[in-house]
Amino acid sequence: MVATVVIPAFDLRAALRLRPGVQARPAALAPLPGTEPLIGSVTGAAEAAGVRPGMRLSEALATCPRLELVEQDPASAEQAWEEILRRLEDAGFAVEPDSPGVVYFDTRGVERLYGGLEPALKRALAAVGTTWDPRVGAAERRFAALAAASVARAGQALIVSNDRASSFLAPLPLELLPLDQDRYAELEELGVRTIGQLAGLPGGAVAERLGPVGRRAWSLAGGEEPGERKVAPRRPAVALHETLEFPEAVGNELTLRRGLAVLLERLLARPERAGRPPRKIALWARLVGGASWRRTVTLREPTTDLGRLRSALQPKLTELPAPALKLRVEVSELAEHRGEQLELVAAEGMVLQGRLREGLRQVRAAVGAGGVSTVVEVAPWSRIPEARALLVPRDD
Amino acid sequence: MVAHTGGARAARSARRLNSPRPALVEAHADGLPRRVNRQDVALVREEWRVVDRWWTDEPVHRRYFDVVLESGENAVVYHDDDAASWFTQRA
Repeated sequence: MVATVVIPAFDLRAALRLRPGVQARPAALAPLPGTEPLIGSVTGAAEAAGVRPGMRLSEALATCPRLELVEQDPASAEQAWEEILRRLEDAGFAVEPDSPGVVYFDTRGVERLYGGLEPALKRALAAVGTTWDPRVGAAERRFAALAAASVARAGQALIVSNDRASSFLAPLPLELLPLDQDRYAELEELGVRTIGQLAGLPGGAVAERLGPVGRRAWSLAGGEEPGERKVAPRRPAVALHETLEFPEAVGNELTLRRGLAVLLERLLARPERAGRPPRKIALWARLVGGASWRRTVTLREPTTDLGRLRSALQPKLTELPAPALKLRVEVSELAEHRGEQLELVAAEGMVLQGRLREGLRQVRAAVGAGGVSTVVEVAPWSRIPEARALLVPRDD
Repeated sequence: MVAHTGGARAARSARRLNSPRPALVEAHADGLPRRVNRQDVALVREEWRVVDRWWTDEPVHRRYFDVVLESGENAVVYHDDDAASWFTQRA
């Protein structure tokens, strides 16, 4: 069977992780600057007050004047989602993430592991964590599993057997089908409000009126899944990261570049890498005011060359919207092979570097972790002496 | 697959290099240092002011003195006008 774990309004929940009190109040995700003024996900209290996701901001505020707008935090959401996926993977589920808040997995392997389908689904809910109010649905087909998870209560595991999939789907609202907003409105005008009513229409007529998208929705409503594919689990991501915490917010590019260079050096020295070059690297920053920022770079050619890694990541630093309090470099994917020609003669300076590394290793052994630091000049022009350079510990 | 090591390697804080240290300074009425860390000042070689970050919550108002002590040792001390305290620092 295919199982789907759904966390409703995941982006809003992620943005409110540090402000749990707001979840009980009417709140909505604010639109991103420069985009159409439509609100995002809303809390239960906002929904009860008549606010709907996708509403115009002015309309939402007129409907509920007490509505609190929550700034979007896509980097935190991405991080939280990755943590959830890792917990599921640690529990033995080979997951295929669909979008933040929706993940599929095949239950065949884990049913035996946990002694049946229901215990496995309960284990998946426990792995996600009760704070996210997850729900899980299982069925023979993806859409039925998604629909089951979408209508389940928080913490509930809903299993839909193949023989009652059609009857289960029939009374559910059309909104569960992947259709544009205009199509929903069109169908509602025609008096079609449930999946069962759509399934009852002739397929040819639906295709003529709504096109291929409508035809696909009609097939899904009837319990079929055109072009259905198996669950394709992702390759578990690696978790190598290095973080630098600045004593004060840093906005100038030179300081950030130097911080980035130190982080890359540390990352390349990590033994877990086992000589494999990074293929995908993410740059993350905690900004002044609490917001976060993240950019991902996929290298065309995996490399361990510090200069090339810096050239790939440095341009991203110019996109930082505010001064940073923390800077982190994460390796999300490592390449399998180095694919580099070994050198016949060691490059000049390698012997000295080796001696230096050995000397530093001995110092660390004598004085303990944190005994060796790198001096990073961050603002040599500053009139305040202590602002000119930082001591960055290195334990590599 | 690589083991998750995030917990063991938490964010390590960078520290400031050349942070000021409190100094024991006796000063003349005009603010010039007379004794630094229990040693008489033989000569004030240079004096300068640093006023910075006045637009932040942590403004900097310092009066620096580059002094030669009786023992021949060089020292840089400053008076922090906001904290009303003396500090020593390599300038």
